[in-house]
Amino acid sequence: MTIGVKKVSLQRTTRDQIFLPAILEGLLTTARHFFKNTMTKGMGDVDTIRYGEPGVDPKSYYPERFRGVHRLMFRDDGSVRCVACMCCSTVCPARCIYIVAEDREDNNEKGPATFVIDELKCVVCGLCVEACPCDAIRMDTRTHMTPTEAREDAVLRKVDLMSRGGPSVAVQGGLGADYRADAPAADPRFVGR
Amino acid sequence: MSNHAPVLPSPRRPLRVRALVRAASPAMLWLLLCAALGVSACGTDYKSTADTASVIRPEPVRAVFHPSTGPIAVDLVNTSDKPVAIGEFRIEGPDWTSFALVEPVNATVLRPGDRLKLHVKVEAAELLGPGEPIRGAVVEHGDAPEEIAADEYRHGTAHLSFKAAGVVTAVPLEFEDPSWVSQYVLPALIKVLLLVMAFIMPLASLLTWMERKQSAMMQDRIGPNMARVSIGGVTLRLWGLLHIATDGLKMLFKEDFIPRRAHRALYTLAPLFAFVPAMVVFAIVPFGDAVCYGQLFDSLSEADVAQCAAGRGGTPLQIAQIDVGLLYYFAIASLATYGTTLAGWASYNKWAVLGALRASAQMISYEVAIGLTIVGALLCYGTLEPHALVKAQEASHWGLVLQPIAFILFFTAAIAETKRAPFDLPEGESEIIGYFIEYSGMRFGLFFLGEFIEVVFVSALVSTLFLGGWNLPFGILGAHGFSSALTCQLFFLGAGLVLTASGAAIWRASKHAEGVASVIIVLGTIHLVVAVWSAFTGWGTALPHIAIVTIGLLTWGLKVLALCWLQLLIRWTLPRFRYDQLMSLGWKGLLPLSIANIVLTALVVYALAPSAPPAAAPPTGAPPTAVPAAGGTAEAPTPAAAPKSPNPSPAAAGQP
Repeated sequence: MTIGVKKVSLQRTTRDQIFLPAILEGLLTTARHFFKNTMTKGMGDVDTIRYGEPGVDPKSYYPERFRGVHRLMFRDDGSVRCVACMCCSTVCPARCIYIVAEDREDNNEKGPATFVIDELKCVVCGLCVEACPCDAIRMDTRTHMTPTEAREDAVLRKVDLMSRGGPSVAVQGGLGADYRADAPAADPRFVGR
Repeated sequence: MSNHAPVLPSPRRPLRVRALVRAASPAMLWLLLCAALGVSACGTDYKSTADTASVIRPEPVRAVFHPSTGPIAVDLVNTSDKPVAIGEFRIEGPDWTSFALVEPVNATVLRPGDRLKLHVKVEAAELLGPGEPIRGAVVEHGDAPEEIAADEYRHGTAHLSFKAAGVVTAVPLEFEDPSWVSQYVLPALIKVLLLVMAFIMPLASLLTWMERKQSAMMQDRIGPNMARVSIGGVTLRLWGLLHIATDGLKMLFKEDFIPRRAHRALYTLAPLFAFVPAMVVFAIVPFGDAVCYGQLFDSLSEADVAQCAAGRGGTPLQIAQIDVGLLYYFAIASLATYGTTLAGWASYNKWAVLGALRASAQMISYEVAIGLTIVGALLCYGTLEPHALVKAQEASHWGLVLQPIAFILFFTAAIAETKRAPFDLPEGESEIIGYFIEYSGMRFGLFFLGEFIEVVFVSALVSTLFLGGWNLPFGILGAHGFSSALTCQLFFLGAGLVLTASGAAIWRASKHAEGVASVIIVLGTIHLVVAVWSAFTGWGTALPHIAIVTIGLLTWGLKVLALCWLQLLIRWTLPRFRYDQLMSLGWKGLLPLSIANIVLTALVVYALAPSAPPAAAPPTGAPPTAVPAAGGTAEAPTPAAAPKSPNPSPAAAGQP
């Protein structure tokens, strides 16, 4: 194989030397944008989000999977869903989740004695939410962590986290072995391979 | 973003219908009003045309003499469709002895459309005061006779009467000795105020906003829109228009900084040197034809308006009508170079000096090209006086048609002269802030505003030189009205459609603009109604003088505005030149091309000129006062008519 050489002519053509055709082309392009943006509905090609302007709800521009401040979800009885499995604090790249486990009184499960998230360290990656087996921790609050005057105000405790919480529809502890019940039947071609 | 995104379109539909009705109702109201006006005006219109006095129309309607005025030509035009016998010409009235027909006129019969030329002269010496009227004239003095010094002239009146179709008709003849104040100072002051306060300054400040908003619109951004004012709970944002005011306030309140080793006097003077010439050059720009004082609501002829444009019984809509008009522009515009150079030098800043050097080199280079490109237009139209230039374009073709190359060259060089992109090396707004780098506050504001005033001036000059000034295209609007009812209908139909369509587009574009859009739609509707009215009544060929003047002013303003828009478009489209490219474009591109344009134009003009020996060619820019302006329309300057006849001249000029 030979390497092909493409010769690029740096000689300006007559069209280039006259300037005018290219200038007119450029002017037409910009004029087209001008008239499209002034004369058509919704300002044509202008994509600017009017964030923060009066009368504009900034939350309407948040994407569905926007990651905001954490919250902890409830069981039906109002206690926290967390079973202190340490998945979130283990997966957290910023090491910002501190959990101290304790026995729960009502059944043989564990629960968090303390659940602390240092929002100053948090990198808002959302891995804790993905790691949680109990749908206990979520970041769907659609609020930013607001700036605080004191450092310790940004360290959220269990009470703060649960104050934004709500009941979850997930089955506490998962479905156990029954989780396959609703699964579609296996493809017979692959069964027994 | 299905479940969180707000749902916009569907619930707004009933609102939109209501809004349409809201917009349409004033339009309907206007329609009814206009229709009613139209019907009522129809009745009166027909009665007046049956009047016998208007069978013979004098042009001008009245002749106004000044002490130095030569014979005035009065045309009598038969406007009826029958031949009219006309005779018994005589001059009557209190001062009949002072006026005389230049040559005796015999009784004759005027066929329809024919015109009879009379020349009336005045013997000014007989009207010198003091003294009683001479030789049996009947003068009705008031209680106190006016006091006239020996070297002043009396006011003299008479009329030229004749009998046409059995009816005696009179053309008023007036002699007045205008004082310097009433003739020059007052009209000039009023025109200066009007032009500066009602046009230049508003437009220049509008441009400061337009520059930012238009660039944003061209680059798919929003641009300035946050300045707002609340009046009684209603918040107005007006698309950021109020940024004009906030910018001005900001400049006023910023620190007025002067570098420690700057030359204080020159540092203070430099912004004025940049600002004042930009304002002063507007003196030569004609923004309309002429206003006739006492005849605002009459339908006038070319001869009337020409008389007013010469300052008799009216005033030209131009601050200074000087024969060397364009030379004056070059002279004053060159002064602006001092502003930039002094600003750079007085700042005691090496970067400012470098910027000033770039600026002065650039401005001087491009002035050469500007001067030479205009010569082509001068050859075509044979005058340096902008008002006469526009009249000459009216008589033949617009400069854009006869001198397309000169138009492009001039526009390019003029943009370079304003030191804006793509020629903004002296300033380099985005990076280096050349010669006014040390300026702040309102001193900088003067440079800034001066730049925009220059933009307005370039637009005004281009529209004067190449786009026929205040004239509508194709000569559809004369001094008396539209050239025919059809052109009137076409004009109003076109304008109405454009206005209505753009109003509807603006209405659709933004709900904040509904007020503005409905005004535009109503205006468009009025135009359409006028078109329909004209179609039914044949209205439009005899408009009142004030309507013609207004249309002229609006036309001129719109042309200037459109050219300003074009300049902003160019400024935000083209990238900046490198300095050597700038110089080579100026000296190796524009200069040879403009010289070639001159040579070609000269050849074409020479070839098409009426077969007179070159020595007898009329001198360019002959002062209008020296040649009695009596000629009116009939004696249009020959050079203006020369390139008119066949088409080849624009084609030939388009060769290089």
